[in-house]
Order: sequence, then C-alpha cells, then structure tokens
Amino acid sequence: MATVEKPRIAEIPDIDVDPVTVDIIEGALKSARYEMDAVLFRSAMSPVIREQHDEFPMLTDPQGRMVVGQFGAYINEMMDEWDQGIYPGDVILTSDPFKCSASISHTNDWLVLVPIFYGDELVGWASQFGHQMDCGGPLPGSLPTAAKTIFEEGLIIPPLKIVERGEVQQPVLDLILNNMRLPEMNRADLFAIVAGCRAGEKRVIELCERFGRDVYLATLQKLLDRTYEAMKVLIHAAIPEQPETFEDYIDDDGLGNGPFKMKLTIWREGDHAFFDWSGTDPQSLGPINFYLSEGMFKMFIGVYLIMVNDPQILFNDGFYPLLHVVMPEGSMLRPRFPAALGCRTHALARLFDVLGGALTKEAPELNTASGYGTSPYMLYSGWDDNGEFFYSMEILYGGIPGRPVGDGMDGHSWWPLFENIPTEYLESYYPLRIDGYTTVKDSGGPGFHRGGNGVEKRYVYLEPGEVSIHDDRWLTRPWAALGGWPGGRSSKLLVRADGTEEILPSKIDQVEVAPGDTLVYRTAGGGGWKDRLDRPVDAVERDVSYGLVSREFAKEGYGVVLDDEGKADVAATEKERARQLDERGPAQSFDFGPSLEEVLANCKEETGLEPPVPATPLRWSPLEAGDDALDRVRKGDDVPAPS
Amino acid sequence: MAYRLGVDVGGTFTDLFLVSDTDGQRFSVKTPSTPTDPSEGVLTGVKRICEEANVGVGEIQNILHGTTVATNAVLEGKGARVGLITTQGFHQILHLARSQTPGPLAGWVIMIKPDPPALLSDTREAVERLDARGNTITPIDVEQVEGIVKDLIDSGIESLTVGLINSYVNPAHEEQIGEIVERLYPGFPVTLSAHVLPEFREYERTLTACMNSYVRPRVATYIEQLQSSLKDFGATADVNILRSDAGLMTTREAARNPIYGVLSGPSGGVAGALYVAGKAGFDNILTFDMGGTSTDVALCENGEPTIGRDTSIGQFRIKVPSVSVHTVGAGGGSLAHVPELTRALRVGPQSAGADPGPAAYGRGGEEPSVTDANVVLGYLPPKLLGGEMQLDVDAAHAAVQKIADAMGLDSVEQAAEGMIKIVNENMAGALRVVSVQRGHDPRDFALVAYGGAGPLHANSMAELMGSFPVIVPPAPGLLCAIGDLVADFRDEFAQTLISVLDDADPTNVANILDTLGERATQWLDDEGITGIARSVSYVADMRYHRQGYEIPVPVDPVNVRANGLGDLEERFNQLHEQLYGFRMPDTACEIVNLRSVGAGSVPKPELPTGTIGDADASAAIVEEHDIVVEGEKVSAKIYDRAMLNPGASFDGPAVVTEFDATTVVLPGYSARVDEQFNILIDRKS
Repeated sequence: MATVEKPRIAEIPDIDVDPVTVDIIEGALKSARYEMDAVLFRSAMSPVIREQHDEFPMLTDPQGRMVVGQFGAYINEMMDEWDQGIYPGDVILTSDPFKCSASISHTNDWLVLVPIFYGDELVGWASQFGHQMDCGGPLPGSLPTAAKTIFEEGLIIPPLKIVERGEVQQPVLDLILNNMRLPEMNRADLFAIVAGCRAGEKRVIELCERFGRDVYLATLQKLLDRTYEAMKVLIHAAIPEQPETFEDYIDDDGLGNGPFKMKLTIWREGDHAFFDWSGTDPQSLGPINFYLSEGMFKMFIGVYLIMVNDPQILFNDGFYPLLHVVMPEGSMLRPRFPAALGCRTHALARLFDVLGGALTKEAPELNTASGYGTSPYMLYSGWDDNGEFFYSMEILYGGIPGRPVGDGMDGHSWWPLFENIPTEYLESYYPLRIDGYTTVKDSGGPGFHRGGNGVEKRYVYLEPGEVSIHDDRWLTRPWAALGGWPGGRSSKLLVRADGTEEILPSKIDQVEVAPGDTLVYRTAGGGGWKDRLDRPVDAVERDVSYGLVSREFAKEGYGVVLDDEGKADVAATEKERARQLDERGPAQSFDFGPSLEEVLANCKEETGLEPPVPATPLRWSPLEAGDDALDRVRKGDDVPAPS
Repeated sequence: MAYRLGVDVGGTFTDLFLVSDTDGQRFSVKTPSTPTDPSEGVLTGVKRICEEANVGVGEIQNILHGTTVATNAVLEGKGARVGLITTQGFHQILHLARSQTPGPLAGWVIMIKPDPPALLSDTREAVERLDARGNTITPIDVEQVEGIVKDLIDSGIESLTVGLINSYVNPAHEEQIGEIVERLYPGFPVTLSAHVLPEFREYERTLTACMNSYVRPRVATYIEQLQSSLKDFGATADVNILRSDAGLMTTREAARNPIYGVLSGPSGGVAGALYVAGKAGFDNILTFDMGGTSTDVALCENGEPTIGRDTSIGQFRIKVPSVSVHTVGAGGGSLAHVPELTRALRVGPQSAGADPGPAAYGRGGEEPSVTDANVVLGYLPPKLLGGEMQLDVDAAHAAVQKIADAMGLDSVEQAAEGMIKIVNENMAGALRVVSVQRGHDPRDFALVAYGGAGPLHANSMAELMGSFPVIVPPAPGLLCAIGDLVADFRDEFAQTLISVLDDADPTNVANILDTLGERATQWLDDEGITGIARSVSYVADMRYHRQGYEIPVPVDPVNVRANGLGDLEERFNQLHEQLYGFRMPDTACEIVNLRSVGAGSVPKPELPTGTIGDADASAAIVEEHDIVVEGEKVSAKIYDRAMLNPGASFDGPAVVTEFDATTVVLPGYSARVDEQFNILIDRKS
C-alpha cells in the first residue's frame, strides 16, 4: 500500500454561509468542546484533572487555527518540524514546552493531538492537554522547587506518535510509563485525554456530514472573521494610543533569588495593539520561569476583553493578527533552553495582575484589584505502613480581589472551573487528616468591595513522608485599587507533634514530616476595590457576624466602630472615618502596601524568613534588549514603526 | 366505587386526572395554580373534578401528587432560616463551597455567588471528630453541643442541619447531636446529613442536607394545609407525593425529607411519557418537555427512566436520586437578541416570562420571543382552537423584524426561521447530553413531546436527532398528572463502602446488602405494601480505583454470596466502555456505595382507547393556512385534534390544534393516530 507523506489539508472554500447556519455551527462546536471536557472529567483518574479540572480542550480548522477552546492554537508551529506523516487514527503526544512553541509550559502537561479526517482530507485537529500528577524525575510531582534545568523536571516527551493509525505504540508507551511513579494513573489520564479528543473528532465529522464539508469549513472562516472584527472594536475601546505601563513582582525563585519584576507596556497603533514585556527581569535560575506562548497570551488578552461584552461568543484565533507581543529572549517569559519551568504558576497569575493593571484605565468594567496571585500547591508522599507508596497533590485557592460587581470571593479559585478536593476524599485515600479548612480572618483587603480572604488549611500528617510547598505573595502584597487596601500575605507554619513550631518558606521541597505533625497552610487574600471608608456599614457588620472580619479590623480597615451587639455606632463610625480620611487624603489608583525597600528591610522581622537577594544574570542566557525585541516583532508581524 | 386522583401543580396550571379503578372511567380538569397557597388551587380542582365526574370526594382512595413547592422555595429564595452544625474547623464549608469560579478565563470578574441555604452567622462548630474509617478521634462534647444548639435555636432558626466530616461512614455523632436537639427542643426539625445522603464528599452532602432543612418547613406547612382542607371537604384519601426519581413517598416522608421531591414536577412528566409511550409500544424514548422558559429532556431505556444522583437547582448542585432530567434555558418565551459587537443571533436564556409574555400575546411585550417566531412562520395559527386567546400577528411580526434589521436579513420570515433553528439547536444540545454523551444512539429512541411548546418543535427536534417516531400524547398538558398516577412507591437505602474489589470480602458485601435489603423491606412493611406488588433490588456504585465518578451496577446478594464479586467487575467494565469508550483492564475496580431500592407497584390506570378506523382525516380539517418551511411558503391543513380518531393519517405540512397544544407536521413527514389517540409522526415512507 502506498503511503502518503503529507495529508491532504482541506482548503476552505470561499462561499457564502447564511448567518444563522454560522450561529448553529458555533453552538454545536461549543457543545463539542464541553463534551470533550465531560468525557475527560468522568474517565480521568488523577484528582488534579478530575476534581480540579486542570485540562484544556481545543478544536481547530484544517490549518490548525483554534476555532473553539481556551488556549490559542499551536499546531501549525508544531507541524512545521513534523516529518512522520499524519494518518487517520494517529494520536500525537508531547510534554516538551521547547518543542511546541510553549503551548504547554511545563513537562507535567501532556498534550495530545488527534487529526480529524473527513473522507481523505484533514479538516481539523482535536487537541487536549492535562496536568499529570507525576511525570518522573527526582521528586514526586516532578515540580522540584530547586530545579535549575528542565532535566530535573521529569521525562521530556518530544512530539511523537503514541498511536499510529489506530495502533498503540506499545514500546514507546512502555518506555514513558517506565519512568513514572504512578504509571497506571498516567496511562488512565493519557487515554482519558485521547477519549476526550475522540469525542471532539466525532462531532466535527458529524458537522461535516450534516452541513456538508464546504459549509462547515466556510463557517469556520466566518467565525474567525467575526472574532477579528469584534476584537478590532474592543481594541479601540480598551487600548490607549499613549503607552501605559504596569509592573509587579514574583517574590522569589525558590533558590533565594528575588524579587523578580514583570513589566508590561501596552499601546495602540491604528487597529494594532502592542503588548511589550521589555523591562521584565531576566530568566531565573529557579523553576519560576513561565515560557509564554505568544498565541496563549493573545488568547488571554482576548478573553479578558470580550468576557463582559458577549460571553456567549465562541472564542477563537481570528483576532491574532491584530495583536503584537514583545517578549525579549532570555527574559522570564521567554527563557532559553534548558531553563527550569516547573513552577510557572506564580508568573502565570502575576501576568494577569499586570495585564489587568495596564488595561485598567481604558476598561473600567474590568478594573479589579489583584488576588492571591498564584496556584498554591501542597504535595505529600511517602510509604505507608503496608509499604505502599502514596502521593497526594493538591492545589489550594485564596482571596479573589474586590470587583466592580461585588466583593471578592473568600477562598475561591482565580482560574476558571478548578475545584477543591473534598476532605473526605483526602482522608480516605491518603494518610492525612484535615483539622480545619476555613479562611484567614482579616486577610481580605478592605475596600468598598472587600477583597476575599485567603484559605487556611490545617494538614495533620499520619505517616512519615516528605512535603513540598509552592506558593508566593509571602513578601509582596496583592495590590488594591482606587482606595482599597492590599490583601494579606501567605504563610506556612509547621507545628511538630511535640509542639515546636517552624516557619517554612513559600517554595520548598523534601520537608520531612512525622506522624502528628501539622502544617498550617495560609494563602494570600485579595486586594480591596474602591474606597474602604465608603463600604456600607451593614456589609461590615455582616462580615464581622460571619467571622470573616474581626471587630478590631472593622475599625482599622473600614473605620466602622461596632457596639457590643455587633451593630455600628453611627456617631463613632462617622468620627473614625473622618479621622482616617483626613490622615490619608484622596484615594490612590493603586496601593501596593509599603515600598519594596521597606518590605525587604522588614522581611525577617515580619515573616520570620530571610529576604531574597537580587539574582545574578545567567551567563548562558543574556537578555535581549527591549528595542531589539520590538524590532524583531515589527519585522516578523510586518507592522513597521509609524514614521 | 374506588377512584384515584393524580394532581400536578405546575407554574401556571394545576392539572388533575381522575380514574376509576373499577370501570376505568377517566376525567380531567385544568385549573389555574395559586402560588401563594398552592393547596387552594388543588382544592378548587378537586371540587370541580368531583362535580364533573359526579363522584363523592369520599370515593377517592388515593391522591397522588407532584408539586413544585420545594423547587420554588429554592428558586425564589423563600425557604426557612437554617442553622448548621459542622465539625470543628469546618464552619465555612458552605461558604467555601468547591472554590469554583465559572469559565471562561477571568470568569470570576462577573461571577455572582448566591447565599448558601445556611448563613455563616447561623453556623456553629461541634467539638467532635471521626476518622475516615468511622473511628472516634474526639468524642462529642455534650455540654459544648448543648450550648451551640441552644444558641442557634434561641436565635430564631427555623430548621437545623447536622453535617459532620466522615459521617457517611458512621452516623453516630450526627445521631447523638440529633438526640440532644430532640431532648432539648422536642419536635424541632433536624436533618442529619448521613440520613439524607449517606455518601462521601462533605460539601455536597452538607449542602443537600441544608437544602432539605431549607425547604422543609414550607413543604410541611403546605402538606398540612392540603390535608386539612381536603379533610374539611370530606376527603379520606391517602395523599402521596411524587419523588424526584419518579417514585412515590408518603406525606410523612415528604414532610421530613422534602429534598427527595425537589424535582417531582419533571419526574412526573417523564413517568407519564414513559407510560404513554409504553402503551404505544415504545420502551426507548427521549422525553422533550418544552415550556415557556425552559426545556427538560430525559432518556428512558427499556421502559425505565435514567436515575441520576446529581442535579442542580438554581446555582446549587445537590445530590438526591432523581430522574436524570437535563434542563436548558430555552422555551417559547425565550428572547432573541443580536449583540452589537458580534452581530450573532442569540436566543435565550432571557425570557419574556409570564408578564408581559411574548409580543403575540398582546400584553405589551415588544421583544422577539420564540413564540413570536412561531406565529410569523404560521406554526401557531392566529386563532388557537379551544383557547380563548387570539394571537396578535402584527405585534409578533414587529418584534421579529427587529432581529431581521439587526442582522441585515431580507425578510422577517428569515429572522423567524433563524430564531427557531437556533433554539432547536440549543435544545438538541440538551438531547445530546442525555443521549450521545452517555453512550446512547438517539436514533434508537422515539421522541415524546409535551409541555406547552413541545409538540410545536418536536418534528424538527426529531429531524435533528434522528429520533422517530415523534409521539404526541393526547392532552400533552396532562402528562404529569398521569405520571403521578402510574408512579410506584420507591425508596433507597445506601451505605458507603470504599473498597477495591480484590480486597472486598464477598460475605461482607452480601451482609451489607442484606442489611440494606432488610431496611427496604421494613420500609415496605411500614408503608403497608405487601405481596407481589413489592420488590427489592440492589445496586453497587462502582468506579476504577480513585476515579471521581461512580457508575451504578446492578448486583444480587445471593449471587455475591455464592459466586463472589468476579462478574461485578466484568459488568462494570462493560458499562464503562459503553459510557466512555474504553476500559482499563489493569486497573482495580472499587465499590464506593452499596444501595438497596425498595419498590411497591400500584395498579396502573387504563388510558382511553379506540378501534382503528378510517384513515381519512379530512373530516378533521378546519381550514388551510400558509406556513414557512426553509424559506418557502407552503399551504398547510389545520386539523382539529378532537376530531382525529384512531387510524386517521395525514401528511405534512399540517398543523394540529387542541386546547393546550399545537402540533406541527413538517413537509416530508406523515402523521397517524394510534389506538390511544397519540399522534405518531414519522418520515414519509
């Protein structure tokens, strides 16, 4: 049988499609995407995918442009280098961020691609990636906080066929699973991801059958065009012509270096918007680099802008040509191989803080404060009394910032659709007891709309083992907007069974624990939004009666003086608010808390931990100059500087 | 003479259906619902139906009742003030919920979080703790618990929930607190989470129990009012309430655990659809209940509804056995709009509601609704036969014209067809969720249409799904009341046992099943259900080790005792493959819950039948009228359903009108009337 080296990629016909058909196909693609999720959730094994929903589906057009999904398309860039042919029944797998233009940003994410054939033509791709609990390497979880290169972060799977024309490539799969601590879980999650992609594939084929190949394909183009036109309008409304700059910090890299600055400048030239990360610090030695895919970042911007305008829209790649992203080589956001990437969630969250801050002036409906600013992890592993290996990994949440629509939620996830793991699940499967799961009183920044409180979770370890912690915002505070106060900082306290206490840093591995040791894990709160002295008195009364704010903090943070019944003393409150207003003066746009110099100077005293020290640049990865990076992007995207 | 009465209280109408157990005579009555005190509407209906049937109220032996009192209490936020007692360290359990925020990215920016059924200020922590195996780590501190109980009840809470960590393994601590409350405040309504839902996941269990407390006083009051007014009227009948899983429960049980009836409305419809379809010879059906603001769909296989354990009411996900009804915010009142930014056509979830309603109702509505689109296309004739209402065709045109203008379409008909297609696609999405997403091929199912707008859209839905024939029962509005009449008594008893199959001791599993079976038998005894009418079946909720969702697998304790658990594993693997397309032979299976289901069957009413007669339906034609299909105007005959007799058949395009529904038959399809007076629509042969 003759083999075809290159698949026949369907050409999108230039035909008219009536607008209603476009809307119908849009709805059907949206259902297909949720079906991909549903299949994966129900059949995945690891709680990270199943209970916490750390996974991302996508469907593309024949050219690999995303027509529905959460992250931008990456297939084109990946396929440029591909030389193994593509056939019906193939499944491609990779976990190498450096070989897929950073569509996945650490080795834990396993990315699966399934080509969709209709007849003998490639009409699109279904793709999905999910976070694996473990992918090998020196430590369970494969996210060592002290990693200095990607080689310490588990097995790096280059793009390869794990299934070829319907046949599982068993030796390859065996080689991969042989390097995993929990091979059955990796296998189950991998095939759950594949099953999700197959569900998407099936729906696309059905749409081709129902509407005809030509109408289906032409509709994809219409959907891409629709987003392009919509975003043009939003860009004009939201992006100023004059450059706006915002900067914020990640506290440390897990190796004692820091803080690390992330800086973004945005401006508009006609229909085109620029997002320039020049001024962001060089890549770190520790694993906090966030190798940012350009497409993914464009998607972030787009979703952020469009969410309040037409939340029902089917989000896609159509508007990409309007956005231009400058990321200097050798910076934290474009680190060079073999940078360590495992713990990129801090930079991922900070990216949104910085983007939100920069966009605030022109898009008031998106103007919020900043939240707990990372994805806090707790990992625990060891061998139980039967000699069985156990390993649990959990993502915690924190304070959502104060927002135009209301208070920030206490202890909720900033990332969509993530969920906490039930205590009863943890206790029945792991040698753990949860002695309390609540929120940290007074950790939400005061504001007209209060920032959410951080989470306090108390873990009692029942077997000897090792614990890892990943968190941030222990040093710098989640900032407030327009007259609020910043949110409270995170902390970790290990109380040994004998009562001795140890303050733990926010990024650490291999903390040995013994039965009866308790970890008090506190995450950061959210910043307050608008003037804290204008917060309705009854809202403060309610927060105190709910135990979310203390009486003392009601006075200090909101100027509300409560009587013994918990009701506000009106006269005393007025007086206190007037006094504080007088002391403070007019509200500031942003409140970051004390200056970085002060924060560092008081670090040891306030947190019990040594302050981080400025990082030494890496000899093997010099930082590209910002102007050079901008020139590179202008040339590549063909948007010359205005004369 | 002995009569039984089915009563379904809906949002707009209360439907009653009376059957004689001796001679099979049937009567029906429709009367406006009375939302402030629904028992008034019921009583009005009972009086009317007794009059019309010339039946003494004392002759009614059973009243079988589906009610939305509990659902409405939740949706309207008008439940009781609920107190909650948690394990120490967990008082924010409802406040933290599952920590989730909606998609897409930055969805948290616009998220509105509803208040939970028990407020934080009404939540207290008890000093106590059990471990995951049910062993006591910290015993109950009785004095401390007495303190918080007094504190809560004296503060004015109306209903109390106890939800403790790991109570699903061992309810002892919850029961002990329940006893303390009973000792201090005899008769105070207390819901124990392990009794309502003895399953793991503390948030869902506590929430479900709190929801029970939340609706309990209101449901109890309603049942009391209903019973006393019926008694005053001379009724001596037993009243039974329909559960969300289409089983019946006693009023005593309904007053104690009303959460089991929270979806009793939709489950009545499914039970009725199943019964009617079964009589017509179809055991595999998709139900399609399209109302004014939403559409409920469900899948039934082999004459049984799919029973699920997760359901949502408003924004809350609760876990009680329920007919797996999937709801979408698409109905006759759904409004179309075109966002300026994308110029896409969106239909729903906003609805014209009851007031002002669609523009065609002529009560001041100006926004284009799905009903208006149906009027523009001629699917709803201007004069509704049997109804008092005259539709305002001009107002409907004016409303839909707005969509044509916003989208730049040539004609108002184009816009109307677009709206219908979009809303149909949304509803087809719901039908896909209950069929293809769960491993079923919709082409193997018939589609049963009911609800105010179901028969209007059913032909198109069947076309999209390939589900034929369409079955439109006579008086589609009565289906829920019929469902009440055909429901069996049903209750479940569960015990969580998280155990890998290889480690599970078959004797132990069989023993637990036997114990659960005894509880089911005891319950049947208590309900006075005897003889061949009673049955007990068993289910194991299973999954692959550490997977997050369970699949119910039927199990037989006798077989387990004799042959072990081996074939359970194989049957689980088969089901998993059917649902998700793969199996994992190298991964251990585990049992999560064991359940027994007690059922007591009741005699089923006979439905009106006729003998198949002449195929000629021309006598039922009342007029001809233009309808628009795929942009073409075609002439359709309008039939009066009351004049369509068994055997009558006719081709589309046609419109069939009756008192509470209009059925559309599209070109290319034909309809026939079967012996039970159902209209069956199929592709033209």
